Amino acid sequence: MAVALGIGGFALSLAPRNSVGPPWALVLLALGALGWVLSAPRDTRRDELLPALSVMLTGLGLAMLARLSGDLAHKQEAWIGISLTLVLLSRRLFDHFRQFAAFKYVWVLGSIVLFALIAIFGQEVNGAKLWIRIGSIQFEPVEIIKLFMVLFMAAYLAETADVIAAAKPWSVRANAKYLGPLFLGWGASMAILVFERDIGMATLLLVTFVAMLYVATRRVDLVLGGAAVFALAAWWAVKHYPYVVARFQVWQNPFADPLGRGYQALQALFSLAAGGLFGTGYGLGHPYYIPAVGTDYIYAAWSEEFGALGGLVLIGAFLVVVQRGLAIAQAQPDLYAKLLATGLAVTLGVQTFIIIGGVLGLLPLTGITLPFISYGGSSLVANFLLIALVWAIGSERAASS
Amino acid sequence: MTLNAAIARFATLFAIAYLLLGARQVWLQVVAGPAIAADRHNPRLALLARFRGAIVARDGTLLAVSTPKGRSYPLGASLAHAVGYASATYGTSGLEAAFDADLSPRLVANDPVRQFRSLFGRGETDADQRGATVVTTIDPRVQSALYQGLSAFPRAAGIALDPRTGEVLAIASVPSFDPATIDRSFSTLARDPRSPLLDRALDGLYPPGSTFKIFTAAAALDAGAVTPDSTFEDTGGYQIGSFVVHDDESEATGEQDLAGAFALSSNVDFAQIALKLGAHRWFEYAGRWGFGRPLEFTLPAAVDHLPTRESVTPSILAQLGFGQADLLVTPLRMALIGATIASGGNEPRPYLVRAVRWNDGRQTPDASAGSLATPIASETASEVRDLMVACVESGTGTPAALPGVTVAGKTGTATNPAGRSHAWFVAFAPADAPRVAVAVVVENVGYGATYAAPIARRVLAAGLGPT
Repeated sequence: MAVALGIGGFALSLAPRNSVGPPWALVLLALGALGWVLSAPRDTRRDELLPALSVMLTGLGLAMLARLSGDLAHKQEAWIGISLTLVLLSRRLFDHFRQFAAFKYVWVLGSIVLFALIAIFGQEVNGAKLWIRIGSIQFEPVEIIKLFMVLFMAAYLAETADVIAAAKPWSVRANAKYLGPLFLGWGASMAILVFERDIGMATLLLVTFVAMLYVATRRVDLVLGGAAVFALAAWWAVKHYPYVVARFQVWQNPFADPLGRGYQALQALFSLAAGGLFGTGYGLGHPYYIPAVGTDYIYAAWSEEFGALGGLVLIGAFLVVVQRGLAIAQAQPDLYAKLLATGLAVTLGVQTFIIIGGVLGLLPLTGITLPFISYGGSSLVANFLLIALVWAIGSERAASS
Repeated sequence: MTLNAAIARFATLFAIAYLLLGARQVWLQVVAGPAIAADRHNPRLALLARFRGAIVARDGTLLAVSTPKGRSYPLGASLAHAVGYASATYGTSGLEAAFDADLSPRLVANDPVRQFRSLFGRGETDADQRGATVVTTIDPRVQSALYQGLSAFPRAAGIALDPRTGEVLAIASVPSFDPATIDRSFSTLARDPRSPLLDRALDGLYPPGSTFKIFTAAAALDAGAVTPDSTFEDTGGYQIGSFVVHDDESEATGEQDLAGAFALSSNVDFAQIALKLGAHRWFEYAGRWGFGRPLEFTLPAAVDHLPTRESVTPSILAQLGFGQADLLVTPLRMALIGATIASGGNEPRPYLVRAVRWNDGRQTPDASAGSLATPIASETASEVRDLMVACVESGTGTPAALPGVTVAGKTGTATNPAGRSHAWFVAFAPADAPRVAVAVVVENVGYGATYAAPIARRVLAAGLGPT
């Protein structure tokens, strides 16, 4: 059913005239998606819900984009094509995900290289340095870094969890020895904060990092430490970055500066208010008043036209994906697979929570993408790979049992 | 705790967090939605501008109505200040501002039931989105008489009430403007030294001059400081310390009873009446009438300016007796003074809007007659009414007399620093069962009897209708 919805989404994006190019491209994407969902080998009992829901969300997101901007929808189609190709090609590779543990320092190195690239070639947009431009293609490396960090953390913690868990919280030596490298994770979060000024991504990494550490060791003091680091970093950011202060003030009262700082947040509120319970209907709202509606605020546009009920459908779909990922983690026999699945599910779940919460004014807005829905190639590729990996972990279990 | 239990904790945490998102979403879109959507910064409102509700007169005459071409104001400049304007650039004023939330088009989305029906193409019409209709108490005939009378002068204002109910029948301020073209004319109007955007009827503060003798007489009679039979001597001047009170043109009215002093508008006599009343009782009665306090009205009105108690010396008090010195009032205030005498000492609560009607049939209950205060006894009111009748029958107020109707009125010629005197007239009719009370001020032209009384006469005639 989810696949049908996804394909319906692809079809829906045909509705706005001249926005998505030739129909055959959509048919090709739909076939690709169907191929991916059904790509399970006969000898395993795969759970198709994860890829099916991803395809559904992607299809609905494309439909929304097509209605907002033909140009963006066109590019997004290309990225969906690339993402599907990548997950199909990587299927065999991901089946051997256990061997990824051996490359744990490759992921760290990869992350550092990507950081360096941003620092050197990064383009500053809206006060944050997030993008690398190669020709006409813009790339957001943090989306890939978040996967690398989870891969590294899972491998590292799988080896050291017992020792860390056994260490007394006050034993400096024991903690420093094994936790030391983990500060790399904190370091990475802070680096993102400082060099890229991307509060959303820094928060996401930190939360994922602490969550994995907690699952691996069940040490509450580490969670509290993480929370303290976060609070300290947030306080520091508020002190040093005027744009962070501005975001915070806008969050507290978007009506305070309706034509200046609060403009975007206020337009999103108006968009949501126009949607009501049932929405204005596809193509009948006016979400284009919101700046950056295709990326940060696509959820507001969706909610305007499909209403609070439409929003609940998306929230529900994301929750099912996250719960399924955590269930897969619980079913794994070994620590590494458990940690990897947990980390991936938490990453997806927290990212979704941060951006939807930001759009709905539950949290200050931070500019990260809504997985599968927002316009953005790197986000799409990274999240498709994320789902493919979780799916591979889940089906490996089925194959071995 | 086992590892899986730790993961389960996260599963629970996510379930709670996402439930929170869902709750916030429903709250934001369904519960808080209507209030957010109504904010004036919402660009969707401009798209719906043609669905803005109408403002109508008491007989249904359109005063403001939206069409696909824009907002039109059939009465134009005549009622511009009270009805106001609604501009995307310059905001709203008057009733357009006071009732903006009701007049604003309604987003169908903010009513889940209507929205659900509209999903099936049912019940969804333009009328569903149209803002409410604001029904005013304006009587177009009275309004026309008032505005035509005032617009013969460069700067003037007036207001007519039904003293029985407090309904505003007409309200006008000159110079005026065309609210329909405000987008083009605003910057010119805002710079115009004659202040055409100022609503003089509500926000113009003027010395009331001799029309304030209505108050002085009422207070002095009610307090027992004078009786209708008291006599006064006017030799053309009256010395209080080093200050000398003069009548206009220094004519001496000789010995007069209260009716004579009032009808001939003797400043000398009323200076003495005020001194008899005393500063303490003057302030007591000013307080009873609500002078110097914000008036409860449909639209914001300026607050009268009173002298401070400490500043009232005998010579100031003498001048207050005939409405000069440190005293400034609005035409609305003077109309209310007239209406209070007309309704037997009860100060009616003035209002301009009778009801707000929505398209689904709902409406606010009709506004009903209310009372602000009862500052004087009904016997006092009828004694003052007799003074005002005499003023029109045989005193300075004769230009306001109407054939076949007993008119009660009082002239005022208020000296001011801006040039010639402001011409005032306060009146009501018929004297024995008043249906219309009116106050008119014409800035810097001269005698109230010459310039203001004929306008008041016209307004009374229109308000009483062809009988």
